[in-house]
Amino acid sequence: MKKRIRIGVDVGGTFTDFVLVDEERDQIFTGKQLTTPSDPSAAILDGVSRLLSDAGVSPAVIDNIVHGTTLITNTIIERTGAKVGLVSTLGHRDTLEMAKEIRYDLYDLFIESPPSLVPRFLRESVAERISPDGEILLEFDEEGFRNSLKKLVQKENIEALAICLMHSYRNPVHEQLAKKIVGELYRDLPVTLSSDVAPEIREFERTSTACANAYVQPLMQSYLKRLDEKLKALGHDGTLYVMLSGGGITTVRDAEAYPIRLIESGPAAGAMAASYYSTLTNTKNLISYDMGGTTAKMCLIDNNRPDRKYDFEAGRVRRFAKGSGLPLKVSVVDMIEIGAGGGSLASVDQMGLLKVGPRSAGSQPGPVCYGLGGQDPTVTDADLYLGYLNPDYFLGGQMTLNLEKVEKSIEDKLAKPLGLTVLEAAVGMHNVVNENMAAATRMHLAEKGRDPRKYDMIAFGGAGPVHACHMARLLKLDNVIVPLGAGVTSALGFLVAAPAVDYVRSYVARLEQINWEYLNQLFYDMEDEARSLLIEAGADDEDITFERKADMRHVGQGFEISVPVPDGKLSGSHVDELRINFFDSYRTLFERTVTDIAIETMSWRLAATAPIPNITLNFKGQKGPVDKKIKGQRSVFFSETGFAPCDVYDRYAFSEGDTIEGPAIIEERESTTVMPPGSRAKIDKNLNLRIELDA
Amino acid sequence: MGDLGAEGAGERFDPITLEIFWSRLISIADESAAALLRTSFSTIVRESNDFGTVLMDANGDSLSENTGGIPSFAGILPITLKHFLAKFSRETWKPGDCVITNDPWLATGHLPDITMVMPVFLNGQLVGFSGSIAHSPDIGGSLWSADCRELFEEGLCIPPLKFLKEGELNKDVEEMIVCNVRLPEQVLGDLNAQVTANQVCGRRLIEFLEDSGLDDLSLLSKSLLSRAETAMRNAIEEVPDGIYHSTLDADGFDEDETHIECAVTVEGSNITIDYEGTSKQINRGLNTVMNYTHAYSAYPIKCALDPLTPRNEGSYRPIQVIAPEGSILNPTRPAPCNARQLTGHMLAGVIYAALAQAVPSKIIADSGSAPSMRAIFSGLNPKGNRFTQILFASGGMGARPTKDGISTIAFPTNAGAGSIEAFESVAPLIVWQKEFRADSGGAGMYRGGLGQVCEIESRALEPLQLSLLSDRWRYPATGVLGGLEGAKSHISFSDGTVPHQKSRTVIEPGIKLKMVYAGGGGYGDPAQRERGRVCEDVKNGYITAAAARRLYGQGG
Repeated sequence: MKKRIRIGVDVGGTFTDFVLVDEERDQIFTGKQLTTPSDPSAAILDGVSRLLSDAGVSPAVIDNIVHGTTLITNTIIERTGAKVGLVSTLGHRDTLEMAKEIRYDLYDLFIESPPSLVPRFLRESVAERISPDGEILLEFDEEGFRNSLKKLVQKENIEALAICLMHSYRNPVHEQLAKKIVGELYRDLPVTLSSDVAPEIREFERTSTACANAYVQPLMQSYLKRLDEKLKALGHDGTLYVMLSGGGITTVRDAEAYPIRLIESGPAAGAMAASYYSTLTNTKNLISYDMGGTTAKMCLIDNNRPDRKYDFEAGRVRRFAKGSGLPLKVSVVDMIEIGAGGGSLASVDQMGLLKVGPRSAGSQPGPVCYGLGGQDPTVTDADLYLGYLNPDYFLGGQMTLNLEKVEKSIEDKLAKPLGLTVLEAAVGMHNVVNENMAAATRMHLAEKGRDPRKYDMIAFGGAGPVHACHMARLLKLDNVIVPLGAGVTSALGFLVAAPAVDYVRSYVARLEQINWEYLNQLFYDMEDEARSLLIEAGADDEDITFERKADMRHVGQGFEISVPVPDGKLSGSHVDELRINFFDSYRTLFERTVTDIAIETMSWRLAATAPIPNITLNFKGQKGPVDKKIKGQRSVFFSETGFAPCDVYDRYAFSEGDTIEGPAIIEERESTTVMPPGSRAKIDKNLNLRIELDA
Repeated sequence: MGDLGAEGAGERFDPITLEIFWSRLISIADESAAALLRTSFSTIVRESNDFGTVLMDANGDSLSENTGGIPSFAGILPITLKHFLAKFSRETWKPGDCVITNDPWLATGHLPDITMVMPVFLNGQLVGFSGSIAHSPDIGGSLWSADCRELFEEGLCIPPLKFLKEGELNKDVEEMIVCNVRLPEQVLGDLNAQVTANQVCGRRLIEFLEDSGLDDLSLLSKSLLSRAETAMRNAIEEVPDGIYHSTLDADGFDEDETHIECAVTVEGSNITIDYEGTSKQINRGLNTVMNYTHAYSAYPIKCALDPLTPRNEGSYRPIQVIAPEGSILNPTRPAPCNARQLTGHMLAGVIYAALAQAVPSKIIADSGSAPSMRAIFSGLNPKGNRFTQILFASGGMGARPTKDGISTIAFPTNAGAGSIEAFESVAPLIVWQKEFRADSGGAGMYRGGLGQVCEIESRALEPLQLSLLSDRWRYPATGVLGGLEGAKSHISFSDGTVPHQKSRTVIEPGIKLKMVYAGGGGYGDPAQRERGRVCEDVKNGYITAAAARRLYGQGG
């Protein structure tokens, strides 16, 4: 039987989302289950079974299942992971807790530091020392290590161990020796070496990453094992893949060894979906804009690929305060997330000004209009008041929204204290949240040295298409793309991702002082490791592509920039090319170069990728039975016209080539697109809405 | 709260427009700061946030500051600009001009800080100024040290001069600077980074004005300043009226110990901080010019009373700071002032000790991390590359009314600590220890933050230059409301010798330098500390069992 089914599964905090593509019949099916937190595989099994029966196929034809999860993030936020012991170099027991010795809020005397994943009484240290050049300054004290280990295991009953020794990224021999000893004494104790999970310079970040990996590992191992077994019992004999935070997929075995690399797998899928659309619509540069209930996420897609970065912060004490969480050295899609979602709360601050977010009403009690007890007005409430949302067709009519309650809440909580009318306050909420998102996007573009005029926007998530046109105008963009089924767009990312892995090794050297033999060996080792993993994940050797990069900076600077590195064997003759590449990257970011100061390298990176699966997602199957394009009319507010009657369209009635003139409201099950006056949209062959803002 | 909107004559903006405009102006300052931070060569800019970017209106009043900016800078820039305007009258500024200074009395209190300001024009009208301040990688003179006897020894002093004239580099000024500093490329690189930051700020301001349809900033400025001022005044009004006194002693320099007298007068919505009775200025670099004294007095007030409001000129208007002329907090030229942070950082503690009598739930105990303790190493590494490395590390923060003080955290400054591995990669130094110092946090109902111990060995072939900046060897961080003092600091060499606490010296190959950082003061009576917290502290080794018995009467 030909294996022709691919399934994507995204385990979220509230819902587990499913998407199935049948390549033979060109069909897509989607589904949703409540997440089962005690054993997430339960909901997955239910959902997969249901989806298979919807599609009328047997488990035997599943080629693969790609899985993403918020389990890791939640484990870290809720501090429900394993009891971890940490062993550091003697004299550096407190690296993890001292962190960067910085206050993330300059004015708040009462800030809390994020609690360490490993408290001090579970932190031991061992006499040993390696220099920055990898030279052994002090031999590893095996006897002392055995004693520390016994104490952690026998007295404290740790469930996992992390080991992070100074300069182990340069010479891992002591960490490896430690691991060997653990294996001899306690064979079943999971061990994370910092030189395996994050072989990068900077001991705090490396320790933090190793501890986080150890912290989530026992849980993830048993979970993935259980899931694999249950799927097999169901009759699935294809491959189970796991989505990585960088947007690639990998094997279960790899995920079990380095579960921390899965931490942003859900958001990564959204970015992969956006890059798929970027190829599909022939739009090279996109701002991917995903607005849901609590947050808005923005990510740049350049040349059909999402930007990536190599650090991430998890479990923040204050969700939107940079520096208030645990730093992780993992490859992630470079995304900004701000507290602007449908559930974001509006309030009046001490200055008498209107604030929106970052606090959110969440799903409980939710916006006022849900009628579930929410008292404070949210962005969704303003959207309803302004006519953007249909009170009788929310989530396709599953829920009726209460406009009266909204009006009273805006009046009492905002309009009266601010001395405004209800309309002014509602418009204000809409404008403030859009400005917040635009400002964050502008800053992100500026930090990366990108020109907003080169970008179009793709909008998805429940609230994305409601706010997209307004926000795009604030950013002075010309075009907005709204894919069909904006509510499930993100899950499509699981189906269009390819096996891909990132490796890194730190090696600090000035360009002129590089030991080329050593560097070549680093790249060969990384390439070997990557190749065997990707082949295990089903890729063909000859299809694997490698991309090399280096983190470089001027001597004396504290921030590195990412610089392309040539393939093949490197030697002193590459110094000029590396220098030119450095200047090019530097100029792109900072609009100038400094030529007289030496350049040094910090870390060397390898990205290995298999080709993106050749999938044609045929969206015609999503077209409904409806032929009547205009569902009706309602009064909708736009700044140009005030409240005025506006046509309401049924998204499922459109076919390729249809055009719509703004102002218009276009409704589909999980989202609503708001087109302002002066805009015009065309339906493309994949049923995407292509909006020109100033037509 | 109800009459906030009516405040001031210039209120022409509704609360939504004002919110949107204000956020936009803050993000302009932030974008400018990001441009500066990412290309700076100065370790001090990077690791200790020693920089600021400020957007000012055509009068030279600040409208917005970068979010992470340190207070000593943001409040001072408008004052510096007014000095510039006194020298170069408003009509003479042209697009592309850039004025520079590092004069401690006009600007931020010591020579390494460079201030640069550029005008912003819209349709030929001067609409505002963009300004930046950053700690330069070098300014000639004595490097970073506390022992100079006159300003002239401390480096090059640049009076307000045009660094750029209508976009053209003023070669004379550039050459003058290049000839006087040790790291000319890095210094010029950072001056260019500041110019870029100012240009980003200017460009974004023009875009903002075009987007919003405003012709100039004057009415908006009035509204924003009055909102910020009102918020601060409302906060001050909640403090009971009265005059609150406190004093503080610090090691100073040899026999010249520093004594600070502080009287905080709260009257309605005004607050006055008067340092009458404070030590006279000395002929060592611990003097704190008035601008710096003002900034480091206003900052702790803002943190305690009105931490949430965005800041601009209006925030500081209700705060008056007075220090007698010729005192260490208001010295006269040419007093040396290079290490003025050793005195200035102490002001938060003495102000909080006074306010503890009025608003005990809003202040914290004195911090062991004030002032910051630094060791600066320089010389050649074995590969022949020249290096200068500062060991960034902090003592403990003071205990708080509802929480322990944070360990190894700077306050009132916010200098972080860099990576030891990165530190060792560029300098021939090995850090054998960098760990919490048990029993260093002052006991109390809430314990002071712990200090730390650092031990650094030189692996260089030759002796390395070493500059030490420290205090609190004799006077620890004090506790409040019954809390006990934190542990004192100390510095020593492994051969048993003890260097001068504020000196330039050398470290010989193979010798280890031991730096012991002070702990924060405690808050409230130790007898009131929850027993569970004491047990946790013992279990984690933050305090020893002996200390638990002695200070808290509790067996381990």
